[in-house]
Amino acid sequence: MPSEQARTELQEQVATIGREAGAKAVAVAYFDYETRSEWELDGDRWFHAASTIKVPVLLGVFGAVHREEIALQSRVHVRNRFTSKVGGGPYRIDGDRDANSKVYQHLGQTMKVNELAFHMIVTSSNLATNLLVDLVGVEAIRRSLEELEVTGVDLVRGVEDEAAFREGINNRVTARGMISVLRPIEEGTAYSVELSARMLEILHQQEFRSGIPAGVPDGARVANKTGEISTVAHDAAIVYLPERRKPYVVVVLTEWESGGTGRSDTIARISRAVYRHLTGNGR
Amino acid sequence: MRIDFPLRMVDGLRLKEEYREVLRPGELVRGRDGRLRRLPRWFYEIPNWRVALKTRLSPHFVLWELIDVDVREHVLLRTAWPRYVPCAVTLLAAHLELLRAAVDTYVHVAANGGYRSPRHALATHASTHCWGTAANLYRIGDDDLDDKATITRYHETITRVMPGVYLRPYGAGVGEADDHIHLDLGFTVVVPHGAAGEAKEAPEPASETETAGVGAP
Repeated sequence: MPSEQARTELQEQVATIGREAGAKAVAVAYFDYETRSEWELDGDRWFHAASTIKVPVLLGVFGAVHREEIALQSRVHVRNRFTSKVGGGPYRIDGDRDANSKVYQHLGQTMKVNELAFHMIVTSSNLATNLLVDLVGVEAIRRSLEELEVTGVDLVRGVEDEAAFREGINNRVTARGMISVLRPIEEGTAYSVELSARMLEILHQQEFRSGIPAGVPDGARVANKTGEISTVAHDAAIVYLPERRKPYVVVVLTEWESGGTGRSDTIARISRAVYRHLTGNGR
Repeated sequence: MRIDFPLRMVDGLRLKEEYREVLRPGELVRGRDGRLRRLPRWFYEIPNWRVALKTRLSPHFVLWELIDVDVREHVLLRTAWPRYVPCAVTLLAAHLELLRAAVDTYVHVAANGGYRSPRHALATHASTHCWGTAANLYRIGDDDLDDKATITRYHETITRVMPGVYLRPYGAGVGEADDHIHLDLGFTVVVPHGAAGEAKEAPEPASETETAGVGAP
């Protein structure tokens, strides 16, 4: 288990990295299965969730599958029209801003729940996310999170709801909250071993790798989900190192002035610091 | 072109109870306008998906397109066979064929955009989709029907070739559509030849005042 001195050193390193990069705020948390130790820096500070909220949504979708309300093979009509949390007016996902275009190609057709879940996580499709949130429902997802004893996650709406954003009604997460999201998936307690394994399999196929994965050795396997809007950049991951060692869960949440640069690199540097702290490598 | 039509006509009132509960043949349902409408009684029976895939209702429209639904449909009409579709679906296909001829390109009927049972999660009122007379179109050829200019342009074409068809107005309000075209033939019921006769006693005339024109379907 890392010593108290090592933890203090990590805290100083993270603070220095954030300060040098010009971040407005940085929160970090980890849980290490090898040493059964945990640590956090501002772990209970709330941040706009950006796309990290898609992992709690994934838990909610699989909760509905577990309750047999839907199946992973269930077909969902792909439609780009959603109802705002504020005023109830319609809004659409901006296809030019969304990270994925494959879901748009199915407008008017159907896609399976597992296909939408894949695109929601792996390519961070906002359209897939809102289709799943609409299908399962915000309240049902929240209930699933409560059942799994997830804390530090406040899901209130779908993504790209600009009217809600202007009113300050946003999905929020804390670093410790995202740890509580990822741990049941890794531990096989998110409904069942099989369903947890399916979620982990999706997370492992992540295409956005410039945050936490960039801070660990090349041979490491990382199941992660990033999140980024103009003022925040996050990554939440389960890291499996090549050496004979149990994995660790790590979450890095950062807040910036709009247009701030070097955000992914900052997350990668913090990831590297956590890796060195936990393994003693490269110190 | 030869049109194969292998479907058997069935009386919805004689179907198994589990199907009657979903299809609600001949039952009254209330529309958004508060008026009561009687659901279709006569259906075509579709024995399996293979038949749905190969049964042409018109030269360019195949049965499967008009029964393609998502998870919001009742489980019986998603996972079990046979399935049933109101006989008026043939009229819908014929009208869509007119549109197909006018635009000379593909006309795509959306999922959930053809027949939906009264137990479909989206069927919160007497929607013409429950009569098999409505189609939602998200794309015609390469045109996505998601903006006012494109929708208005195709509305004009549809009105020209099918003046009796109802088109949901462009807009974001209730009874309007801004990301697709909804067209329908109203609450049309087809009673095919060979169907059993009606009961001798005529139903009581409706007491509601009839008004000219069409209301929101």
